[in-house]
Amino acid sequence: MSRLATFLTRTAGTKDKADSFTIQDFLAYAYLFVGVLVILVPVLWTFFSSIKSDTAVESFDTRLMPMDQISQMVDGVGEKDVWVYTAEDGRTQLVFKAGPTRKLTDVAPVDDPEAVFQVPRKSLTPHEDIRVAVENYLDPILKRNGQDNFHFFTYLYNSVFVTVIATLITLLINAMAAFALSKYRFRGRLTFTILIVATLLIPSSIILVSLFFVVWSFGIFGSLWGVIIPAAATPTGVFLLRQYMLTIPDELLEAARMDAASEWRIFWRIIIPLSLPALSVLAILSVIWRWNDFLWPLIVLISDPAAHTLQLGLTQFAGEFDTNFHYILAMTVVTLIPITLVFVWLQRFITTGIATTGLK
Amino acid sequence: MTPAGFTVAFAALFWGLGGAIWLLMRRRYTHRQIPQFFMDLLGFPVELAQSLFGRAGVPYALLLPNMLIFGFFTFLPMILNFYVSFTGGASISLFDRPWVGWEKYADIFNCENFLSPKSCSNPGYNFWTGMFNTLWFVLIQVPILCVAALITALVVNQNIKGRGFWRAMFFYPVMLSPVVIANIWNWVLHRKGALNASIGEARDAMTGLAGLSGFDMVATVIFAVILLIVSERSLRSNDGPSASWTAVFGALIAMLVYWSQPLSLLGLPGSGWLGLVMAAGLYWAVSTEQSFARMAIIGAGILAVIMLLMIQFDAVFSFGRYRPINWLVTPKTGWPFFWLVFVFCWSHMGFYMLILLAGLQAIPRDLYEAAKMDATKPFRAFYRITLPLVMPTLTVVLVLSLIRSFQIFDEVYLLTGGGPGRETFMVVQNIYEVAFSNDHPDYGQAAAGSILMAIVIAVFTFFQLWLTRRQSDL
Amino acid sequence: MNDKPNSNKTRALQLSDIRKSFGEVDVIHGIDLEIEEGEFIVFVGPSGCGKSTLLRLIAGLDDPTSGDINLNGKRVNNVPASERGLSMVFQSYALYPHMTVGQNLSFGLENLRMDRAEIDKRINDAAKLLQIDHLLGRRPGQLSGGQRQRVAIGRAIVREPVIFLFDEPLSNLDAELRLQMRVEISDLHAKLKNTMIYVTHDQIEAMTMADRIVVLRGGNIEQVGRPLDLYNHPKNKFVAGFLGAPQMNFLEGTLDGNVMSLNCGMVRDVPLAQPGKGAVTLGIRPENIHVDLGGKGDETVTVQNFEQLGAVTYIYATFANGDTLTVQHAHQIPLQKGQELGVSFPTESFHLFGEDGASMELAR
Repeated sequence: MSRLATFLTRTAGTKDKADSFTIQDFLAYAYLFVGVLVILVPVLWTFFSSIKSDTAVESFDTRLMPMDQISQMVDGVGEKDVWVYTAEDGRTQLVFKAGPTRKLTDVAPVDDPEAVFQVPRKSLTPHEDIRVAVENYLDPILKRNGQDNFHFFTYLYNSVFVTVIATLITLLINAMAAFALSKYRFRGRLTFTILIVATLLIPSSIILVSLFFVVWSFGIFGSLWGVIIPAAATPTGVFLLRQYMLTIPDELLEAARMDAASEWRIFWRIIIPLSLPALSVLAILSVIWRWNDFLWPLIVLISDPAAHTLQLGLTQFAGEFDTNFHYILAMTVVTLIPITLVFVWLQRFITTGIATTGLK
Repeated sequence: MTPAGFTVAFAALFWGLGGAIWLLMRRRYTHRQIPQFFMDLLGFPVELAQSLFGRAGVPYALLLPNMLIFGFFTFLPMILNFYVSFTGGASISLFDRPWVGWEKYADIFNCENFLSPKSCSNPGYNFWTGMFNTLWFVLIQVPILCVAALITALVVNQNIKGRGFWRAMFFYPVMLSPVVIANIWNWVLHRKGALNASIGEARDAMTGLAGLSGFDMVATVIFAVILLIVSERSLRSNDGPSASWTAVFGALIAMLVYWSQPLSLLGLPGSGWLGLVMAAGLYWAVSTEQSFARMAIIGAGILAVIMLLMIQFDAVFSFGRYRPINWLVTPKTGWPFFWLVFVFCWSHMGFYMLILLAGLQAIPRDLYEAAKMDATKPFRAFYRITLPLVMPTLTVVLVLSLIRSFQIFDEVYLLTGGGPGRETFMVVQNIYEVAFSNDHPDYGQAAAGSILMAIVIAVFTFFQLWLTRRQSDL
Repeated sequence: MNDKPNSNKTRALQLSDIRKSFGEVDVIHGIDLEIEEGEFIVFVGPSGCGKSTLLRLIAGLDDPTSGDINLNGKRVNNVPASERGLSMVFQSYALYPHMTVGQNLSFGLENLRMDRAEIDKRINDAAKLLQIDHLLGRRPGQLSGGQRQRVAIGRAIVREPVIFLFDEPLSNLDAELRLQMRVEISDLHAKLKNTMIYVTHDQIEAMTMADRIVVLRGGNIEQVGRPLDLYNHPKNKFVAGFLGAPQMNFLEGTLDGNVMSLNCGMVRDVPLAQPGKGAVTLGIRPENIHVDLGGKGDETVTVQNFEQLGAVTYIYATFANGDTLTVQHAHQIPLQKGQELGVSFPTESFHLFGEDGASMELAR
């Protein structure tokens, strides 16, 4: 039949023929290339915009490089923006504006401030060079220039605290539950398994309101624990680990029992080390989930700015400063950098790990 | 001290102190075994269960913490939802809420016409607008997401260079937080953002090009050459035309028909659909190996040449001035909704692609080799081997993405805030606003909405599982 | 109980009326068995006969549904596996893959809170004995099958157990290694003089290693005894057929007094201790049948197939009525398919089995 179908059914590593570049190869690469462009360009664009000066961001400069207009001390006049004047014969000259901008603007050469002359506005272009606007990042983080509403280190601490503690608790209790479900025969095992499947099918957003009541009754509403505890037990984690632990031979456990190990010691000396691949996949998933969590922290933590996570802080920040795009973009980049670094560092592991351990 | 705090303190004392005493009475630890002691202490309840009830008690002790959290923070709220939905008022204390019976549900169902939310009471209007928008969103979003994920998985599963890189690239957006995603796309889709700028520039460039003298002739010749090469390629092989070249050929035909508007000769507007129909027909004929496929391609080629001569290329490529669109804010254009679907796909597709990829890789290669020995045509192999064998995974992906898209909140809330008007107002946002971002929170109303939404999700999920009941491995 | 030191034999293990069922399924139907100290006992039987289950009951990994297990005279039904003082070598070896060989050996001793010096000494002794001292720093994944086997045995040895339990330990090895390890385990038993209980489905292992064999079928003990006793005097048709390769020939027929007439046409007088009447099966081992190349002999059979192994020749033949016969001949002989062959059956090597499969005693 067709080559497109060959293309559709060909699997990894199959070399149909040792033939050269075919149309289906072309289509495949074209698809991948366009796809990656669609994914990367917005992210990169945000990054490149975040290192532009505020005037460039404000005026929606669409050039890739961070261009910034040079300003210079002019003798007897002060700090002035420098413009390039292009005369009709093509000669150029560095000038500054000596008066208000009109159709015909008064300008004077930088090296001779007294020689004022009139030029059409359109013949002036800004004199620019490349400058990375580090202040976009440093101002909010160090609270300079009146940027004291973005408590970066508080948010970072809260986010890291929630992510690390929640992940540790998740790993421990999910592994315990998975161990019980995969390696013991006991009355009620099926019931427990079904209960956990049921939680897998209960979408978190339909219990928002009542979860709020429960968390409030526990007295952890408004604190970071109110975000950590409810999310600590994940059905996904239990299943992922259970599936993996089923592949650990029972004979190992029996050997350990003959070796006089208590059940708890079997758990952490035999089961935990042997489940490391699945545990690290769950750890990565948990880090992604907790780091990126939005709706529930929004409900629990919104009233206390000192308890905001990075995501909440960024949302609030973006809401307050509708015009300060340069700060928002910089903080967006700051927020996405940790997860991007984790991803670049562990990408092969993450993708194969999630793919092989299967379900979400 | 609150009761919760007291309980926690007591548990900590029992666990830490009692556990330490218990362990030290029974076991000896050398200084090298201090980490071991702390691990034993951590598992003290399990050790205690084993010593009290033997091995039979251990699994229950192991399950306890997980099930406690599930119980308190998943099952209990699930049941409480019903209670809360029958109570009114703004009190946070559960026992301080007046019983109002079915009032909250009645408010939602207080409509003159159930298909038009505008005829409802206020809560009903908000809820049904959200529900209809969400249903629309799910119906559009899920098939697109699944097809895109399947195609990407198929492509990445090819024998291509740098597979790990491509796979990772497609997965990358999954890792990004909704806030970051929203900020990125807000920046790109802004009225003066990168998208408008690049569209404007591209149009200006084309318009400029079309203004050059002789452009019309050059474009016609170039298209004629491309057409010739592609049709020759698709007809080249001996055992029937090539489907992938036919796909390219079809795309060309569709473009030509769109530009030449042949139906305008008959005084009919809009011929774009005709091109798509022709392209689809050609592809169908070739991929199902109809006997007339070759003739159809030749016929379409002749038609294409005639159309090519009708086209005024400098008119086609002259766009005039571009007026930037405010993609996320302009009402009644459908663009906000479109970009919502797009951004959601953008950020979630990689995850489902990975699952599907795992499903594809689980298909034994022998099957394709056996099919090849049986002289199975590749297209047939796709429909008879790949698709059925990847179907269980696809079902999982369908169900997961359905539940996921039903709950869409973060992206909408941050990108459009439900606007413009109520065009992208989703049901979870309704629940959130009624309960949490309102001066007079109406928890009962929100709970009633949650329960209705749960019912809709359940119906959808079961319907979907029923449709695909043979393939499901959930 | 016999607790006197230096008494010639003490009972290491006593099983009385052990039963085990998993849910509705009864796996062990009441087993009584006594094992003496220092004995090498082999449990043998086809798969599903309950031999592994019985071993796990002894080990304490499963609890019997009813019945008593006595170790050195003490009832241990409720004693957990780790406190029974047994150690076990598993079929898959069950070495902890994330620990080195040394850690594998010491894990159990650490759990018993033993002194480090004592642990090191025991590990070194065991490693020397098994010649694995150069492997102590490696992980199980880096070892060959035979080395893993030795480490598994080493882990059992360091515990200095009352009884060693082996659960089909050689089934994962190739033929050559299996032979070698068989000899090594026998040597080990000779050196350590511990009680060992060994489970296998391979009757050759049973025959070569055991002091006593326990033949199990369907959760019941069929026969217990020394290997050659079982071989020469099987109590029933199952034991007779199970031990020995190639399998014993079984020929159906009827008995009338002392006269046995087989379906294949052979009629013989048999010296029965108690003459009887009814259906009978004649069992005769392939190596006990004599071949007469001249075509004479007691009976004539047709050669269907044969295997010339050099030292021995196996002949697969049929009688006129289609009954099959396997003959083992200790020399090389010229043969052709379809050839007629005379065979003779010496009466002294007959085994006769009644309708219920039980062996009938012959007056020799």
